[in-house]
Amino acid sequence: MIAYAPYLILLLPLFSAVAIRLFLHPFPRIAVPVSVGACLGSFLGSLMLLNAGTPAGGMAAPAVPWIELGGLKANFGLVADPLARLMATLVTGVALLVHIYSLGYMAKDAGRSRFFAELSLFVFSMLGIVFADNLITMFIFWELVGLSSYLLIGFWHQRPAAGAAANKAFLVNRIGDFGFILGILGAWSLFGTISFADLPSRAASGAPFWAATAVGLGLLCGCLGKSAQLPLHVWLPDSMEGPTPVSSLLHAATMVVAGVYMLIRVLPILELSTVTMSTIAWIGAVMTLLPALIACQQNDIKRILAYSTLSEIAYMVLAVGLGVPGPGMYHLVTHAFFKCLLFLAAGSAIHGCHEEQDIWRMGGLRKRMPFTFLVTWVGTLALAAIPPVSGFWSKDAIFAATYDRPGLAACSMLAGFFTSFFMLRMILVAFGGKPRTESAKHAHEGPPVMVVPMLILAVLSVFGGIFPVAEFLGMKPDHPHHAWTLWLSLMLAVAGFVPAYFLYQDAIKDPLHVPILQAKFYVDEIYQRGLVTMQDGLGRLADAFEGWVVRGFLVRGSGVVARAAGQGLRLVQCGQVQLYAAVFILGALGMIGWLLWKAAP
Amino acid sequence: MTAVAGHLISRNPRKITRMEQFFFWSLAVGLMAAATAVVTLRNPVTNAVCLVVALVFQAALFVTLEATFLAAVQVIVYAGAVMVLFLFVIMLMDVKAEARRPVPWPKAAAVLVGAVAVVAGVPKLVAAFPAAREPLRWSAQSTPFGAKELGSLLFTSYAPLFLATGVLLLVATIGVVVLCRRDPGS
Amino acid sequence: MILGEITLGHYLALSGLLFLVGLAGVLLRRSLLIVMMSLELLLNAANLALVAAARFKGIPDPQVAVFFVITVAAAEVAVGLAILVAIFRLKKTTSAEDFSALKF
Repeated sequence: MIAYAPYLILLLPLFSAVAIRLFLHPFPRIAVPVSVGACLGSFLGSLMLLNAGTPAGGMAAPAVPWIELGGLKANFGLVADPLARLMATLVTGVALLVHIYSLGYMAKDAGRSRFFAELSLFVFSMLGIVFADNLITMFIFWELVGLSSYLLIGFWHQRPAAGAAANKAFLVNRIGDFGFILGILGAWSLFGTISFADLPSRAASGAPFWAATAVGLGLLCGCLGKSAQLPLHVWLPDSMEGPTPVSSLLHAATMVVAGVYMLIRVLPILELSTVTMSTIAWIGAVMTLLPALIACQQNDIKRILAYSTLSEIAYMVLAVGLGVPGPGMYHLVTHAFFKCLLFLAAGSAIHGCHEEQDIWRMGGLRKRMPFTFLVTWVGTLALAAIPPVSGFWSKDAIFAATYDRPGLAACSMLAGFFTSFFMLRMILVAFGGKPRTESAKHAHEGPPVMVVPMLILAVLSVFGGIFPVAEFLGMKPDHPHHAWTLWLSLMLAVAGFVPAYFLYQDAIKDPLHVPILQAKFYVDEIYQRGLVTMQDGLGRLADAFEGWVVRGFLVRGSGVVARAAGQGLRLVQCGQVQLYAAVFILGALGMIGWLLWKAAP
Repeated sequence: MTAVAGHLISRNPRKITRMEQFFFWSLAVGLMAAATAVVTLRNPVTNAVCLVVALVFQAALFVTLEATFLAAVQVIVYAGAVMVLFLFVIMLMDVKAEARRPVPWPKAAAVLVGAVAVVAGVPKLVAAFPAAREPLRWSAQSTPFGAKELGSLLFTSYAPLFLATGVLLLVATIGVVVLCRRDPGS
Repeated sequence: MILGEITLGHYLALSGLLFLVGLAGVLLRRSLLIVMMSLELLLNAANLALVAAARFKGIPDPQVAVFFVITVAAAEVAVGLAILVAIFRLKKTTSAEDFSALKF
């Protein structure tokens, strides 16, 4: 029975999504509880699985044979090893809290049946990634998750910005998926298997260095797209167009970390090449710093949190690049808690200020929404990695791993400084000072359904660091602990608060003005320009080709040739009999002469 | 002619050769003159008459070649019937004399090439076939091919051709009648 | 050599020259009637060559050929003149240049 548990956990939300979409759409009163109930069921199932230990038949649930092409075999199967169980519990738990929160947040939205159906679909897809036992199965659910993200980002589809953001997310993901598929195919051909169970042994037998590098980089592309790392990070800030529960669930806690999850799964392949590992580590390090800088000049509360998400995911990627997946997963878990909490709190603030998202148009909320203020502080402390909160332990584990790579250490610790800076800025501007708008004056806390999940997450953010993630997964890092990493990072984190306090305490408008940060390093503009230029160029090339080669040379050319030949040949037809006779005579004489010459020269 | 020639032969062997030569050359010159006249003169009636003269010279040349029957046929049919037909048509159409005009180059070229071909080719041919150098000798014993020999060939070896020619003449007759019919009602 | 004995070559040369004259007439004259007359010259040139061959080879067969040539020439003249008359009725001219309706 336990062996089939993954299937049940996986399929429950699917049933919910299908049922709602097909039958219960016009009845939100029924649809919503169905969705929440499905999520609850999956969560309980995951908990049971977590505690169950190794089932009798091994880690894997029975597989369904699927592709068999010559030497290539792929089954559709699920695996329930400790990593999957932990992840499943995390995903379903956080999803459940977000479901409950959405009961309050989306209570007045006309499309809430659709919303919950799409949420259930997402949970199903995410669990698919978690439980997948080979790369192809994971890829299928990868795409499904992308679809769910598209649907949920563009949930308020009447808004053009939402549609554009959804498109952007999907397209950028697609680019990453292209590399991902190449990596999968490369892995398949290189190692003869794509099953996560077989990969460690096959990879250990070695592979040509550059082939392994290419495969590793291909797989990395998938992570870059899904987890929004350089250079495919541009979709995440735009994805904030979706409702806040979506932002908290997908784009903070679960979907965006799927890339990291995948990298950990294929770590045996990545470790075959130092080039791959270095690339991953450096991308991670750079991405901790860049978004942190950008966030210092953003004014939309959700955007600030989006950039901080980019930065935090980069820490996980950095951990993978350093070869310490344990701390990476640890941070994944704690990040899920406090980032989800922060988003829900932001949602609460937005909801309270009647859908206002600009922090400069809030203000004074600490008096009017004290609970939200408190939990935001909790989340901030976790994010900034201040002990003894959970975030500190996980981030510190990652810092510890950078002990012998000063460049990486510098980037990531500096990012910590700026993280503290912009978070305190956000708190001071949004919650501190005096209310700056009418809606801020009348802000109020949300209903209990919104408050309770935040409370639970706050508790988890504080105490969640206790759970020994790395040991549970069997991935405890075995490098020596150096005290300086701890103290340096801590000092920088605390130091970040100081300038923020002096600059933004009681500020009415932003004293700092750094255009390049405000413009997000112009990445979007560069892409736009590049895409436009490329398309323009391609278009011109195609036009020139069509104009010259097809229309000109082939079509008109053949016509011209035919006509010229005709014009040339028709000159022979002069209508004059004597001319014909003359030509005839000439020809005949010529022939006779030639014959005679041949016979008797 | 053979009798006269025969008489002259027995009398004067040295002159005999010159006789063939004399007749040949005089007739040849005459023929060429008449032919040139046909091609160059303007008035169609004059041309037709010159053609008649040329045909008669041709017949005479046939006689020098001891083809007496054909000479007769030539005069009767060609000069007698065909040319009369020509003259009738000339009268019927009341053709005027032609004006002078420059000659287009392909035509002139063809003629020139032809001239070159003939002037260059004939000596070559002659050189190639030794039989072509056999001299022409009239003798009393030579018997020209007459109606009897030709007729027997015509009706035996070449009978099919003969019949075909008959059909041809029939077709020609019908064709002429049809061509010359005026449209009914016009 | 040319002025010596009369040989087959002489007759052939004469035939050739006659053919040439006829050719010049066919190609260069504009009045169709004259063209037809020149055509007769061509035929006669052929006849001369044939008869000469018959005499110098001693066979009667070329003479039979001459017989046929004369017959066919007669028929051809008849039909040709009939056509000429018909055209003349239509166009009131016999100049070769005017009959170029069959051009491109």
